Amino acid sequence: MWAYAVRRAAIGVVLLVAVALVTFVLFFATAANPARLACGKNCSQQQIKVTEKALGYDQPLYVQFGTFMKGLVVGREFPADKEVRERNPELVTDCGPPCLGYSVNVGTTVNSLIVQAAPTTISLAVVALVMWLIGGVLFGILAAVYKGSFIDRGVVGLTLIAYAFPTFFIAVFFLKYVVIKWEILPYPGYVTIADGGVFTWFENLLLPSFTLALVFMAGYVRMTRAFVLESLGEDYIRTAKSKGLRTRPVLFKHALRAALTPLVTMAGLDFATLLGGAIITESVFAYPGLGLLTVQSSSSFDLPTIVGVVLVAAFFVIVLNILVDISYAFIDPRVRLG
Amino acid sequence: MKLRRTFAATAAAALGATILAACGGGGGGTDTNSSGDTESAKGGTLTVLQHFPFESTDPQRIYYGVELSWFRRLLYRGLVAFPMDDSNEVVPDLATDTGTSSEGGKVWSFTLKDGVKWEDGSDITCEDVQYGTSRVFANDLIIGGPNYTLSYLSSLDYPGPYKATAKQQAAFDKAVSCSSDNKTITFHFDKPWADFPLAAASLMMTDPYKKSFDQGDKSKFKVLSNGPYKVEGGTWSKNKGATLVRNDEYDPSTDEPDKLRLALPDTIDYQIDPSDTAGELFNDRLIANAPADQTAITTARVAPSQFPKITGSVEDRYQNPESPYNDYLVPNFNRLKDVNVRQALAAALPLNDYVKALGGDRSATASETIVNPALDFPDNPAFADDADNDGDPDAAKALLEKAGVQTPYPIKLGYSKSPTMDKAMAVIKEGWDKAGFDVTLAPLTDTYYDVISKPDDDYDVTWAGWGADWPSAMTVLPPLFDGRPNISSTTCGNDYGCYDSDAFNKLVDQAAEATDVDEQKSILEDADKQLGEDVAYIPLEITKFNWLYGSKVTGFTTTAASSSYPEIGLIGVQQ
Amino acid sequence: MTSPANEVDEIATDEATHHSTGPSTAVVSKSPTRIAMERFRKDKLSMTAFSIVVFFFVAAVLAPILVKTGVLDPFGTNQDLLNEFSLPSGKWGGMSSSHPLGLEPGVGRDALSRVWYGITFSLAMSISATIIAIVLGVVLGIVSGASGGWADTIIGRLIDLTLSFPQTLMLLALSSVLVTFISDKLHVPSGNPSQAVYVVAILGLFGWTGIARLVRGQVLSLREAEFVQAANLMGASRARIYFKEILPNLWAPILVSFTLIMPTFVSAEAALGYLGVSIGPPTPTLGTVLNDSLSYADTDPLYFFVPAVTIMVIVVSFNLLGDGLRDALDPKGNR
Repeated sequence: MWAYAVRRAAIGVVLLVAVALVTFVLFFATAANPARLACGKNCSQQQIKVTEKALGYDQPLYVQFGTFMKGLVVGREFPADKEVRERNPELVTDCGPPCLGYSVNVGTTVNSLIVQAAPTTISLAVVALVMWLIGGVLFGILAAVYKGSFIDRGVVGLTLIAYAFPTFFIAVFFLKYVVIKWEILPYPGYVTIADGGVFTWFENLLLPSFTLALVFMAGYVRMTRAFVLESLGEDYIRTAKSKGLRTRPVLFKHALRAALTPLVTMAGLDFATLLGGAIITESVFAYPGLGLLTVQSSSSFDLPTIVGVVLVAAFFVIVLNILVDISYAFIDPRVRLG
Repeated sequence: MKLRRTFAATAAAALGATILAACGGGGGGTDTNSSGDTESAKGGTLTVLQHFPFESTDPQRIYYGVELSWFRRLLYRGLVAFPMDDSNEVVPDLATDTGTSSEGGKVWSFTLKDGVKWEDGSDITCEDVQYGTSRVFANDLIIGGPNYTLSYLSSLDYPGPYKATAKQQAAFDKAVSCSSDNKTITFHFDKPWADFPLAAASLMMTDPYKKSFDQGDKSKFKVLSNGPYKVEGGTWSKNKGATLVRNDEYDPSTDEPDKLRLALPDTIDYQIDPSDTAGELFNDRLIANAPADQTAITTARVAPSQFPKITGSVEDRYQNPESPYNDYLVPNFNRLKDVNVRQALAAALPLNDYVKALGGDRSATASETIVNPALDFPDNPAFADDADNDGDPDAAKALLEKAGVQTPYPIKLGYSKSPTMDKAMAVIKEGWDKAGFDVTLAPLTDTYYDVISKPDDDYDVTWAGWGADWPSAMTVLPPLFDGRPNISSTTCGNDYGCYDSDAFNKLVDQAAEATDVDEQKSILEDADKQLGEDVAYIPLEITKFNWLYGSKVTGFTTTAASSSYPEIGLIGVQQ
Repeated sequence: MTSPANEVDEIATDEATHHSTGPSTAVVSKSPTRIAMERFRKDKLSMTAFSIVVFFFVAAVLAPILVKTGVLDPFGTNQDLLNEFSLPSGKWGGMSSSHPLGLEPGVGRDALSRVWYGITFSLAMSISATIIAIVLGVVLGIVSGASGGWADTIIGRLIDLTLSFPQTLMLLALSSVLVTFISDKLHVPSGNPSQAVYVVAILGLFGWTGIARLVRGQVLSLREAEFVQAANLMGASRARIYFKEILPNLWAPILVSFTLIMPTFVSAEAALGYLGVSIGPPTPTLGTVLNDSLSYADTDPLYFFVPAVTIMVIVVSFNLLGDGLRDALDPKGNR
């Protein structure tokens, strides 16, 4: 088991380096000139060159990648120009390992940008996950128990319809109708637990999380329904029932157990994707998380931040993949890792 | 000016939402609209609903028009400043007068008032102005702000205060020198700068900055105020904003509050929401006028789709001024070499339908020159002659025939993508197609201006927008059409059509040498005529702004000095 | 499909679909395909979904013809029918007999024509992308499952790598670069053709992983099957075994995947249109029309709902069709 985990982790590290390399090549080979964008509107060619040098974009790609990887391992100091650092110690920003780089646009390290944005995204992802898991499993069971009835069709149909509408349409609909026109909910804006307490935090998360949950719920309803139906037909359930066990304990103890493995897999991966930032939901609702950070940094060609966020997102996916695989061993004793 | 594309596909009024440009000024075009209610009591909290984040709050990095004009009123006083009206005349702010010039406009000096202080209680000295001016030169660290001073002091070869050798620093300190009492700053420019005070009022590149406060990039969102307010906590939050409270060290007796800043509210609460939908939602909230929003103003213009909701009592809280921003089309001189073809494009342009597609009279006014009316500049005769602006396909066909080109003549039209622009450009396509062209629309995203400034691009015509940096056509015509500083092997700079005319360049040189602002202006009028004859641009529209505000906001006005944004120095709230 | 009993079915399927030229000597009167078809026909919901899908396909094919003949006019402006705010005059977004779904605000193009013509482009792009994803997925899945060893490992890691990337971000940030690349380096005409190629390529390139895993699993179970063993013994080449013997047995999961991947690409095109990456104007796609409609949620509700509901109906009916097909072809399987 430990050997397995170590091996998976090693592969994960290799994957991360590959992700970093691909992202680096793709973004840094772009036609856009970030130095020109940073320099402003009345820049002469010579000034652009100076800016380019200061930002390090004059170096060959492999050197830039080398510097970046070195920063990940041992950290870096900014500004990159050593002479400036020595003569103006008050300007120096220290970026300890794992240093993801420095955003000139915001004037701070990419690490601190991500640390600022991550709690928002995590809050959003956790609340959405809880919503769609509870909703998905309960509705799934309901649909299975009343298989073929109008409840079954209604539940499956409605969640499918919610899934079929584009996310941003749902988000805009909520804002324009539920918030502005019908005034059912207040206009959401991210509030930390520290600032507003748990209730305000949750109230503000309601709409964006619900939007996200709607996207995912249909899949969970269908999966739960399918597995519960299947296991209701299995011999051991029939045995349990025939032994006189009531329906509800049978459902929850036995039938649901069969659905657990695929549910954990699916939830783990969906959750991991969300942790990288829900780009559309965050930008429609102005949630200052990783998704919004991504959009802002790609519209201003803030390359170090883009690379940083991509790496962090990939990190979440890889780590959760490993965790999901390891958790099989606990859920289902028949699974042996090795 | 750059239009940064947010991914705000829904922002129908995306044009100029985040325009990088400074103040326009001058009389004429924009009305000084006042919101009837003149009761201007001090106190209360004004809420500012802002739909985009500022890139920085460091004076030497600021280049957003609205940020420049608002921070001038609230946080950063300049040597001189524009008063809260359309007058175009600068008044002294930190300095005792509007500057004295000598040597034909090459030397400018300003003396600081007594008793002007930073928020930490220390005096503002000449050295602070000198240091602030020097920071702009460090274009490896202080980037994003306007840097006109570099070209007026280019002989120095000065790399900014962080890297300069002792010798370089001494040379700079001589060129931008302080008197022995540390009160009077003197700028010795390489060449005449007739309207330097206008530049100093509009932009913040010669604003004071306290050296001991400077931490380079780490100061990007830190604010050391010398105005009537200060940022609570000292740091601006990029995506959230800040609360501005009164600055106790600010002494109104050193200021002219009636002209420059009334500073009525006790607190100004900036709420930033950088989402795609924020602009529309802010205005929906202002239409609804809930108690919390009754003391609010916004940076977001009303979207054309919301116009029908501005009726009745909502209309009393609405203003619709012309902005200092103009949009125009640029023919590519590397491709459209025949002047008849360019004239045919201008003749066939269905400008009225285009304005309607942008949202009608509340969104835009058809324009007859590239220079904004706020600069008190005459229409360009080449475009004003065709006054009805409906587009004349027959005249265009005749011109194409004269040019002897094969029709339909293919045209690739590049523009910055948004849903509204897609429609507006489709209208232009329809009009041009009728006149014997075959138009392909080419919407571009992201690095629009980078792409269209490439000399070898294959766009025949491109859309562009511009606003003057200070109220002078010198910040419009030369930067956009003088080929010499713009065109290199890799880019045509802001001269997107790669236009290069000796006749025009000569006029620009004459204008730059002019010692008198009026003389300069009449030379520039001739230069604009030259551009019209060559069809170096085809004017489109003057963008109009649409502002709503809460019912308890008083003194709501837009001025030329505020770039037609709400004039925050006059605004107060009812208790 | 991993139970031994099913393998017999598979062989039968194989014979039924690919060797039907010879006279059938089997005593069984119905082929599994026919059984599946009958099962499918009995399911009302699936048949309804199927009819809607067919309807959309016919509409998509007809649209260009209708535009040519002038019945639909997605480009002509009618600014005289707009009011002073450039919104359609009259109730219901300017609905009239000549404009049954009203007009587009701003320029007054016919909304029905825009949406209808948009369906053509959205479906064309999603189908092309689905084909790319399926071809990639099937080939890599077969190679992976068949060869095992290092090829399997590499493809497995490639799948991991693809899944690790935040796709929306990559799509967005890379669009301008790659579109330029496609037109300059691959000599696709610039403008709309390049945009379309980009959208199709990027959807296809990110969409193949699921089907590759599915096919790999199927191949792993099939390669122990008797008919494969037999071919092996007879000395057939590996390529022949996998592409001639195993591939024909995968048509059912591939068909089901097609109907399930395709609607996700329709949604993805809409999201890309929203983010400003899709075919350019004046050509409509469902994504670009929807994107424009979002501003008119309360001032022109008809225009707001029409494109979104169209997308919803397409996505739902394709999903139901896919489910129906899966149930009919493989009644015991669940996913």
